[in-house]
Amino acid sequence: MISLTSYAFVSMMLFSIGAIGVISRKNIFVIYMSIEMMLNGINLFLVTFARYHFNLDPQIITIMVISIAAAEAAIFLSVIILLYRSRKSLDTDIFTTLSQGEKS
Amino acid sequence: MSTSLLVWIILAPLLGALANTFLYFYHIKKHKVSEIYFALIGTITPLISFLITLNLFLQMLEEKIIFKQHIFTWLSVDKLNIEMSFLGDNLSIFMSMFVTFVGWLIHIYAIGYMKNDDGFGKFFAYFNLFLASMLILVLADNPIILFIGWEGVGVCSYLLIKFYYGNKENVLAANKAFIVNRIGDFGFLLGVVTLFFALGQIDLSFGTIEANIENVSKELLIISGFLLFVGAMGKSAQIPLYVWLPDAMAGPTPISALIHAATMVTAGVYMVARFHFLYSGIEEIGLFIAYIGAFSALFAAIIATKQTDIKKILAYSTMSQLGYMFIAVGLGFYSTGLFHVFTHAFFKAMLFMGAGGIIIALHHEQNIFKIAQHRANLPIIGMTFLIGVIAISGIPPFSGFFSKDAILAAAFQEGQYLIWAIALFTAFLTAFYMFRMYFIVFVAPNHHSSDYIYTSKTITLPLFILAIGAIGAGFLNLPSVLGGNHFIDTWLGNLNSKHIHLDHMTEYVLMAISVIVAMTGIMLAYSKYSNFDVFKPENETGFIGNKFYIDEIYDSLFVQPTKAISTFIDKIVDTKIIDAFIMYSSITFINIGKKVAMIQNANVRFYAAFMLVGMTCIFVYLYITLGL
Amino acid sequence: MADLIFIALAFFAITGAIAMIVYKSPMYSALGVLVTMLSVAGMFALLNATFLFLVQIIVYAGAIMTLILFILMFLNIKDEDLPNEPNKYKLIALGTAIMIPLNILVLKAISNLPSKDLSISDSDFGAIKPVGLELYNNWIISFELISILLLIALIGSVVLAKKRKSKLNSKED
Repeated sequence: MISLTSYAFVSMMLFSIGAIGVISRKNIFVIYMSIEMMLNGINLFLVTFARYHFNLDPQIITIMVISIAAAEAAIFLSVIILLYRSRKSLDTDIFTTLSQGEKS
Repeated sequence: MSTSLLVWIILAPLLGALANTFLYFYHIKKHKVSEIYFALIGTITPLISFLITLNLFLQMLEEKIIFKQHIFTWLSVDKLNIEMSFLGDNLSIFMSMFVTFVGWLIHIYAIGYMKNDDGFGKFFAYFNLFLASMLILVLADNPIILFIGWEGVGVCSYLLIKFYYGNKENVLAANKAFIVNRIGDFGFLLGVVTLFFALGQIDLSFGTIEANIENVSKELLIISGFLLFVGAMGKSAQIPLYVWLPDAMAGPTPISALIHAATMVTAGVYMVARFHFLYSGIEEIGLFIAYIGAFSALFAAIIATKQTDIKKILAYSTMSQLGYMFIAVGLGFYSTGLFHVFTHAFFKAMLFMGAGGIIIALHHEQNIFKIAQHRANLPIIGMTFLIGVIAISGIPPFSGFFSKDAILAAAFQEGQYLIWAIALFTAFLTAFYMFRMYFIVFVAPNHHSSDYIYTSKTITLPLFILAIGAIGAGFLNLPSVLGGNHFIDTWLGNLNSKHIHLDHMTEYVLMAISVIVAMTGIMLAYSKYSNFDVFKPENETGFIGNKFYIDEIYDSLFVQPTKAISTFIDKIVDTKIIDAFIMYSSITFINIGKKVAMIQNANVRFYAAFMLVGMTCIFVYLYITLGL
Repeated sequence: MADLIFIALAFFAITGAIAMIVYKSPMYSALGVLVTMLSVAGMFALLNATFLFLVQIIVYAGAIMTLILFILMFLNIKDEDLPNEPNKYKLIALGTAIMIPLNILVLKAISNLPSKDLSISDSDFGAIKPVGLELYNNWIISFELISILLLIALIGSVVLAKKRKSKLNSKED
């Protein structure tokens, strides 16, 4: 039977995979998409609880989250373009001028 | 009884020193000030002190009172209570009288001596400061205030010895004087501390110490008496802390006259007399003091017979005469010792001033043979010099005879025949070397005529006045055997000093022996040196001529090891051990910091991972506490 | 029936996610994300959130992913431009180890809640009209603020991506 736990499981899986993607990949696009994945997982969680409690508030919140994700997409991709223009690489490990140890 | 005048004895020269200091700063920084102003301030203040002292003396003569003046409470902590108060009793006023009088005369002398010197104003400022410190020492009412004056005279002595600081040897001599004095000071301070602990909870003024002295055990008295005498050894140049006195002659002659002849070096004798209630109870230490005095006298006299620098001869003679004073106070004859202090101040200051006059007349020549070779005609100086030499040799009726003879009689009376014999032999040597100096400088033929050189009144007038003192001072304490009034003995009666009670026959015999011994010394000197060929000078060779190599022994025993230890500590302990340890700790911290700083490597994913790790820890904690 | 659909959708979602973090080329990762988003949209529909199902497809799958693919192709990325990731699988394993406690905690907590029937209900819960009414009655301030935020994002992205003549030229020198 499909219960709350199964939806929660899927949602947590999506969130975790998103978090893992942020810390393990160097490609900036993959990092961004992992962030979107995390947001999706949370959206799923919210909608599940909306159905669970028969309350529309979590759904409204989900709409907010999706809108903010859209705004964030615009800014994020502009920044990716800027970074690519300045360093001609998609590697996030090369920006180390603020570090205390070795600098690139 | 208190009077507001007592403290002005000290304040007058102190304010004079301050005024001269500020005037000197103005002189070197803004606008040259004529020497006359410095000289005026410098000489009026000792005169004021002398007049106040004279006034108090006359009052004390009439009314038999003593003066005490309490200024303020300096320190009052638990059991320790030190008052800044001054005491004008018979002993203090006696010392203060001749200190201010002779000091005043030497200030006048210094005007002529230091003429046209760049540091004229500085000299008078230091000189007044010295006089103020000496007066603090003499008028103090408790040992701590005495110690302020004690150290003050040490400092001024240092400042004045190195007055001609362009020449490095003068600075080294000043350092030597100060450091050896410090060793003595340390002993003195330990003595005062011992007394304080022994006596307990009192206010440490001389009166209260005297009242409570019976409560102290004999061992503690011996310890503190000995330690206080260590201070006197340093200040009054007795064996073994005398090495600074000959070197101190590097300073200008006025200070040799005042500090190292008449006043500072007698501070030790004054101190023993002031602590008479302490030393009367410990005869062993008294005997020790007397022996040290006797040996110092003999030692210095032997060395002086071979010296060729006129000021060094006088320095050793000072050390020798101080030995006599310590013989007297060591054996308990305080007033006799102080009488010798009194007469010695006059003739020694006069001898030094005369030597200074010769030195500047011959353009700073100090070797007696060279002085003889270029002898000038200086009649007044020659006459006063002769008076001084006769006085110090102990020929009646000059003052030195009465005081020296009293000391010899004291030693004889106490049964200390060894000390008496040493003192008698030293008297023979004193006559010998003093007249050797006189004959070479003034009498031995040098086969050409000497020109008359004018010496200014500021030099000759004080010499005159002191000559009167050198001749007449003895009559102030004529022993009763000669029909005298022994005024000083009665004046200093409260010191409970012993008095000479020999029968008249013995006294006459002793006097005769000392006169014969002195005359023998003079004859020997006359025969050897009155026709001496001054163009073949004696050199300072041999064991005696090299001052028994004591300076070299001290150098290898004390100075070199201290230097080696200091260098060792500086180069190895300080640099390699302590610095390395501190640097090691700080470098360790820096390295730890560098390692910790590697977390901040500007790798964004790394930061994100760390945040996740932090969150995970929180979740683990929540899991445990929520007990799911 | 609904269960089977749910299981299929869940399977596609998780597979898409895993594909995203495993593939080297960003094109393949983007396709994986697309699959996941569509599956999530399906799950929204299963949970009676019909309006959100539409919004998810239009905004996320239709706009955001398209934008990403657009930028990806705009930058003309070749294989040699891609960063070198030698430790990819090790880091994924590390990340898994880090995320496990969170999952355990949340799932434990959720399983303590009373269970309910989550099948599709007949009411108009989650339809567009109730959502609209709720949005404009109780959440009006947030709605306005979100619109301002979108405006700012619009202006911001134009400003950021514009070619700045002076600064960039000096950097490229």
